[in-house]
Amino acid sequence: MLLHILNRSPLSSLVYRQAIATMGTEDRLLLIEDGVQGALPTLVRHFEALEGRLFALREDLVARGLAGKCDASVQVVDVDGFVELTEEAERTVSWY
Amino acid sequence: MASTTIDHYLRVGGNEVALDPEGYLVELSDWSPAVAECLAEQEGIALTPEHWEVIGVLRAFYARYEQAPAMRPLVKAVGRELGPEKGRSIHLMRLFPGSPAKVSARLAGLPKPANCL
Amino acid sequence: MTDVPPYHGDLLVILRHGPHGSSLLREGLDAALVAAAFGRDVSLLFMGEGISALVRDQQVGPLGQKGTAATLQMLEMYDIDRLLVDGEGLAGLGLAPRDLMLPVEVLDSSAMAVQPKVHRLVLTF
Repeated sequence: MLLHILNRSPLSSLVYRQAIATMGTEDRLLLIEDGVQGALPTLVRHFEALEGRLFALREDLVARGLAGKCDASVQVVDVDGFVELTEEAERTVSWY
Repeated sequence: MASTTIDHYLRVGGNEVALDPEGYLVELSDWSPAVAECLAEQEGIALTPEHWEVIGVLRAFYARYEQAPAMRPLVKAVGRELGPEKGRSIHLMRLFPGSPAKVSARLAGLPKPANCL
Repeated sequence: MTDVPPYHGDLLVILRHGPHGSSLLREGLDAALVAAAFGRDVSLLFMGEGISALVRDQQVGPLGQKGTAATLQMLEMYDIDRLLVDGEGLAGLGLAPRDLMLPVEVLDSSAMAVQPKVHRLVLTF
């Protein structure tokens, strides 16, 4: 399992499509920084292929006032959770 | 990469040629066989036909690819142009002792190779 | 967890930016060249706008910026010969392999999805 990390919003960049295109069926995607916008119910459809494998970083959601507004399908993790995801992954791939 | 900082000058015949802190030419167009002879003398190398043919390979490499080669591609280019006997790092080590990719690039009037130690 | 598939290479460099517009393409190629100079087995994956780096007949930019075509031609001297191209992206640009300056392997979506997995390290540029 690889952990892909995305820091751009689907509203501003299509890089999320490139991330998804290179993801294997077990790989996970973590949304950080502006990427957490993708966790909103109106935008999460862009990640529907990843059911159960989409994560968002709590600290970045909180900073943007989006903590309570995430779609229920997104797993919210804090920085410790980020570290755990990294440890469980063979390696990470950054998309920016 | 080519440095634009003039550190010192090399006297070649009646001319002064600007060198950067690592001894590479500041103006690549200053190169001439006479400049190569002077640079080689500084390295304690007496240029033989075997040296000149490698310098020729380097100058052709730079003209084509716009970069000085690291050791592996230099060995490959020399092997292609001069035959497999010469396309070996031991041959280049003998001609340009120390760090062959850097020393030979300096004598050939190329910038310092970017992708090597 | 399934078994790790056999590795195709040590390093996958993903190139997503075209020539002239930013320095990312050049930085990615430099990373690939450094790794290859140290004997690593490197693959390049061109995606999206990055595919335009391979188009034939490129020139210097309008302000005289050096292009990347010479560097791409040089890849074979560093034994970098696994050049992968996203087929969907290639079609999106209206291009075919014959429009490209180097021989490439065009990947379908299932081949795309395994590339990061089959390299020991992945860098995106």
